[in-house]
Formats: sequence, structure tokens, C-alpha cells
Amino acid sequence: MILYIGWIILELKYIHLNLTCMSQSKEIAISKSSVPKIAIIALAAIFVLGMFVVGFDQGHIFSVVFGEQAFDEMYIHELTHDMRHAAGFPCH
Amino acid sequence: MKISLFITIIVLSGALAGVSLGLVNLAIVEPYLDTAIGIENQNLFASGEEEDTPEFWANYYSYRVWQKGGQLLAGAILGTSLGTLFGIVFAYSKNSLPGKSMIKKALVLSLIMWATLYVIPFAKYPANPPTVGDPETIILRQSLYLAFMAISGLGALGFYQVYKKINKKAIAFVGYGVMMVATFFVMPPNPDPVQIDSGLLMGFRVTSMIGMSVFWGVVAIILGALWQKTTPDRTAQAKYQ
Repeated sequence: MILYIGWIILELKYIHLNLTCMSQSKEIAISKSSVPKIAIIALAAIFVLGMFVVGFDQGHIFSVVFGEQAFDEMYIHELTHDMRHAAGFPCH
Repeated sequence: MKISLFITIIVLSGALAGVSLGLVNLAIVEPYLDTAIGIENQNLFASGEEEDTPEFWANYYSYRVWQKGGQLLAGAILGTSLGTLFGIVFAYSKNSLPGKSMIKKALVLSLIMWATLYVIPFAKYPANPPTVGDPETIILRQSLYLAFMAISGLGALGFYQVYKKINKKAIAFVGYGVMMVATFFVMPPNPDPVQIDSGLLMGFRVTSMIGMSVFWGVVAIILGALWQKTTPDRTAQAKYQ
């Protein structure tokens, strides 16, 4: 009887060890596939800025420095003009 | 994951593909742009806004050289921008994409993103050469185009989540198709009439599509090759296995 109880205790320890290992292996899987948030934020910022520069800006960015004059000159619009048309973005 | 390496290969692949796009455009799209701008110039002479003088043409050619240089710079900026989006989606989806090599996986993803972010928006708001767009409506047209791109891209992302969760995979494709057809008819058309030679228009649109198609192919090949070569997620594997 004592031996039987001892065997059960050993079995329970073995099951506990296995469960622990399973939970650890799950953590490992997550670590492998995770993409750092800081990298995603940096890349997303580049995406938005680039799309704005080539696809939308009508003097908005330079207006921060040059004021209303930037909307008349549209320097970035004129510089990216050919790519805007060629890439399918609306232009004049 | 090595963050700096991860960001570097994504930005580099986008920038290189963007410069490739600029070079292709210089070779095949620019002749149509020059023709269309030539029509604009004739309209300016006819309306009296400009005079057909040697000084005008000297300024014009100088300006066009500057703008053609801008084609390469803008290509690098646009390529980097679209490349970062491509890199983000690739990083999250590479394990579920078909294909044994990273290049094949990247090409599959680029085909999907080319279709959802370029071809489908193009079907509603096709590229037009200079002389077609009215400067007064540009903000409206830009907003419509970017909104259509966003709806198509986010719709594809949403229905991909549906695709992963259901057994009947076709429902996800049908759902995306129905959503985009509805969007196509609900969103207002381009407000500007297209009144230029049909040969010029078609030539411009075909070469424009060739250029963007080259971009999506090149960005996939470069990022796939760089990912395979550098394995930016290798650190985590070595550490935890």
C-alpha cells in the first residue's frame, strides 16, 4: 500500500513536470514568432510618411516652415510629380 | 529577433525596389508623360497664359530634367513606404504563406498585395497622365483613391482572419469580392472628365501598370532573398531551442 501511494506520488510529479515543460515550450513558440512592437511602430511611421509625401502632399509638410507660400510652390508635389502619375496616384 | 537587421532589410528592399520602379518609369512611362505635358503646354500657348519663346522652352527643359530626377527620389520614397508595409505583413504571415523558400513566400504575398493595393484600386480610379486632372479637385481625388486603397487592404486583412477561422475557405474570398464590388459602386467616380487621345491614355496606363508590377515583384525577391540570407529571427531560435 505504501509502495502504491509512493508510486502515485511519483506519477503525479512526472505529470506536473510534463505540464511545466508543455507550458515552457508554448512560451518558446511565442518568442520565435513575435515581431518587436518598436520595429512595427517605426516601419508603420515610415509607411505613413512615405505615402503622404508621394501620394498626398500639396505643400502641407513645408507649410510648417514656410507657411502659406508652401501651398503655392508645392515643392514636394512638383518633385514627385512624375512618380505620382506613374504610380497611379491622382495628380493634376 | 534582431530589430536593427529586421528594419534594415525591409527598408533596403523597399528602397531598391523603388529605385527600380523609378528606372522603369524613366524608360517606359516618361515618353507618355512628356507627350501629355506637351499638350498642356500647347493649351497654355492657346490660352495666352504662356508665350512660345526660346526662354520658355529653356526653362521647361530644365524643369523637366529636375522632375525626372525626382522620379528616382520619389521612387525610393514610395518604394521604402510600400516596402515597410510589405515587410510588416510578411513578418506576421510568412509562416502561413505557401512556398518552401522565403523568396517564394514573399512572391505569393506580393501578388496578393499587388492585387489588393494596386490592381483593384486601379480598376476604380485608373492612373491618368497630366492634362486629365483638374487642380481644383485634387484633394477629393487623392482622398478617394487612398480611401479605396485602405478599404481594399484592410478588407483583405479582415477576410484573411475569417479565412483562418472557417472550414469553407471560399466564403472568405466571396466575402471580400462582395465587399469590394459594393465599395466599387458606392464610392463616387473620378469627377474629372478624361478628354485626351485614347492611344496616349491606354499607353500611359499599360506602362504605369507594368512599372508597379515590376516594383511588387522586385520588392518580394529582394526581401525574400535578404530574409533567407540574414534570418533576422535566428537569434531567438538559437537562444530558446
